[in-house]
Amino acid sequence: MSDTGYLPKEKIKDFLKELAKDAVVYAPCLEGDIVLFRPFSEERTLCLDRPANTPPKSVIYPQSETLFAFQYKKAPEDHQKMSVELKADIGVPNMVIFGARPCDAKGFRIYDRVFIETNTPDPYYRKRRENTLIVTLSCAAPSPGCFCVAVGGGPAHKEGSDVMMTELEGGYVIEPVTEKGRAILGKHVIEDGKPYLKDAQHVQAKAHDEVRNPFAPDELPKISQSLFNFDGFWEQVVGKCVSCGACTYLCPTCYCFNITDEQGIGSGERVRSWDACMFFHFTLEASGHNPRPTKFQRFKNRVGHKFIYYPEKYEGVIACCGCGRCIRYCPVNVDISEIVNYLKDTHQELHWASSRKEGTQPTVGSTKDE
Amino acid sequence: MSGVAGKELRIVGFLCNWCSYGGADTAGVARFKQPTDLRIIRVPCSGRVDPLFVVKALLTGADGVLVSGCHPRDCHYTDGNFYARRRLEMLKRLLPFIGIDEKRFHYTWVSASEGQKWQQVVTDFTNQVHKLGPMHAKKESEG
Amino acid sequence: MNNAEQIKETIARIFPDVETVICYQQGFDGLHATPYFISIPEQVNKLIWNPLCAQNLTSYLPSIKKKVGIVVKGCDSRTIIQYLQEGLIDRAKVVIIGVPCTGVISVKKVLREIGHQPVVDVVFDDNGNIVVKTQKGEKRLAIADVCPDKCTTCQYPTPLVYDHLIGEPIASNKPKEDVYKDIREFDAKTLEEKRAYWEKEFERCIRCYACRNACPMCICQDSCIAETREPHWISQRLSLQEKFMFHMIHAAHLAGRCVECGECERVCPMDIPVAKLKKKINAEMKELFNYETGVNPDDKPPMYTFNVDEAKIKEHKL
Repeated sequence: MSDTGYLPKEKIKDFLKELAKDAVVYAPCLEGDIVLFRPFSEERTLCLDRPANTPPKSVIYPQSETLFAFQYKKAPEDHQKMSVELKADIGVPNMVIFGARPCDAKGFRIYDRVFIETNTPDPYYRKRRENTLIVTLSCAAPSPGCFCVAVGGGPAHKEGSDVMMTELEGGYVIEPVTEKGRAILGKHVIEDGKPYLKDAQHVQAKAHDEVRNPFAPDELPKISQSLFNFDGFWEQVVGKCVSCGACTYLCPTCYCFNITDEQGIGSGERVRSWDACMFFHFTLEASGHNPRPTKFQRFKNRVGHKFIYYPEKYEGVIACCGCGRCIRYCPVNVDISEIVNYLKDTHQELHWASSRKEGTQPTVGSTKDE
Repeated sequence: MSGVAGKELRIVGFLCNWCSYGGADTAGVARFKQPTDLRIIRVPCSGRVDPLFVVKALLTGADGVLVSGCHPRDCHYTDGNFYARRRLEMLKRLLPFIGIDEKRFHYTWVSASEGQKWQQVVTDFTNQVHKLGPMHAKKESEG
Repeated sequence: MNNAEQIKETIARIFPDVETVICYQQGFDGLHATPYFISIPEQVNKLIWNPLCAQNLTSYLPSIKKKVGIVVKGCDSRTIIQYLQEGLIDRAKVVIIGVPCTGVISVKKVLREIGHQPVVDVVFDDNGNIVVKTQKGEKRLAIADVCPDKCTTCQYPTPLVYDHLIGEPIASNKPKEDVYKDIREFDAKTLEEKRAYWEKEFERCIRCYACRNACPMCICQDSCIAETREPHWISQRLSLQEKFMFHMIHAAHLAGRCVECGECERVCPMDIPVAKLKKKINAEMKELFNYETGVNPDDKPPMYTFNVDEAKIKEHKL
């Protein structure tokens, strides 16, 4: 059997149905005017012609998940004595993410390092990750704002995917990336894709050249620490930020979370939910002190985490996959690629200092911005 | 036992401390028979009732919500119920817009001496909610 | 001289008097305008003014302590008046450059028309059209067809408050009785239909709080009860109930305060029609108290006051 498969376009629904036999298939579906990953069913409208508005991250890393349920029990002999009963359930069905984009799939690799490839792997994440097959669709053309080639990815980058599909006029060329993905070739609607492989590679190469690289000619952006630590810079570039969580919640690589006990009377659940570093509450301490009270500091952290701290910890890997969602859907058009581009230049500090009105003191850290 | 035939429903009542809570007390002391679907929460004044209390109750399991305060011009804090009246009227008109029957929510004025009126309000409102049935039919098993 | 040039000139003139001017510049592509904070007059050359300048810039005003200049459209000026009503800004510290507006553009609607293609170029012609070029060709759209819903019933194209007016005032040509037509139509549906509609819409909510943070009248910001644990209004669970509750909180806190700028809806990454709830309440405020937000600085928001005898509120019978 050949290493490459081919799925004629008219058979795509049959293919999804076949996948759905033993797994829940999440596919990008049209809802009103937006595209979301939904469990696929006959009545939904598949939409593969543009990246989904939200990445498929919630399939493997849900926005909110119960870690365990707890219940207080009174001892029958002594009512002063209480015990707590815990119940955890990591039952996860087999899942398929169909039609993710290469950036979305690469995002899961960012999570893997944090949740799996560590001394204390996260059982919830790992279980979902292991049970999920990721079938990625390479991008034929860039989307507004995206810049994957500038952060080590590309429109046909295979990292994180199990299977890579490339769209041709009449169908999809299917290249397995992992052992797990190879099983796809055995599905009966899949034809031999060898004759189409050349065409697919051509499409991929063409798309690669079309994606913008805001950091060119650098291979990967290197950030100037002095400018990064210059408050005036942040005040200038993110003055317009409204400090909402759209960028982080739509980001395929943001993984910060919050853990809360959601209690009822005598029972409750410990819930892990996404958090967003753009929120005031993200770093609010129990004492009432907040080390990052302004949006400037919070945004600096967002850029720092993705382009400095994460790469320092994980061999230079940038925790941004360049999908462009934070740019496209930002209420006020804050452009992270533009900001990082500024930060590359070590000699820009003077420029930022002089662009401020003389005699104006930077207000970062001294006042609350909201 | 519910005063109305059939399954007891969950009705939440926000009663001001000075009038309506007293009115309910009067009704109790006088042993007026009332349906038992109502769970009373005592608040200092009807002005303390945030319309969102009502929304939260309705969204999280209540089948009906009753708010009762001192009669207009009779508020213990002079004008708390005047503010309440505006807010609650706003809410009453908003509820149908989000698909909740406005009959599930009622606000009224009952003074501490009006035990009889209190009995009437509770009975009529409970009947009204029972006519609509449970709000969260599917979730009944979840408690 | 076109409006952009006049705005630039005005900004240059007010400069030593203000420390910052908030206006617009080109965003990440030709279809997006983005807020632009100018702190030295030379920066003014990057300023743009066209129907893509839809964002309500006044949202930034309450958090800025220094004297500031700001470019506002008719609808945005209502926010300023509402701020003045509520004492949220100091009028003496704001220099308002008012620009009469013939309608802005909803980027979401344009994207729908061009199939969400990346934009190569955007130009405006003299006949009220926007011409959007993409790799797949060129699309000419009448601005009136891709304007936000608020523009279709705009009553105040000319700012109600300003220090400098750019160009000539424009009178509204939209019938006043149509303002709440959409609300009446929606309200005519059955309860079940309405409930199902909102459940379907709110189900998509990701609780990014963009609607809240972009809302000029959401002034609690960091202290919003949607996020506090004490009181614990909403849990971190992702149920429909929590999402529904959040949007009700947003709507109820804007009762009689929402200036209908539509920011909440414009910024929603999930395309949820969140402004509708607030508009419904406004329609009731108009009906109950003949009150319209953000038109008269001496008005009092109806929830901040009362009449001993309310003409329009009748006691409800059981």
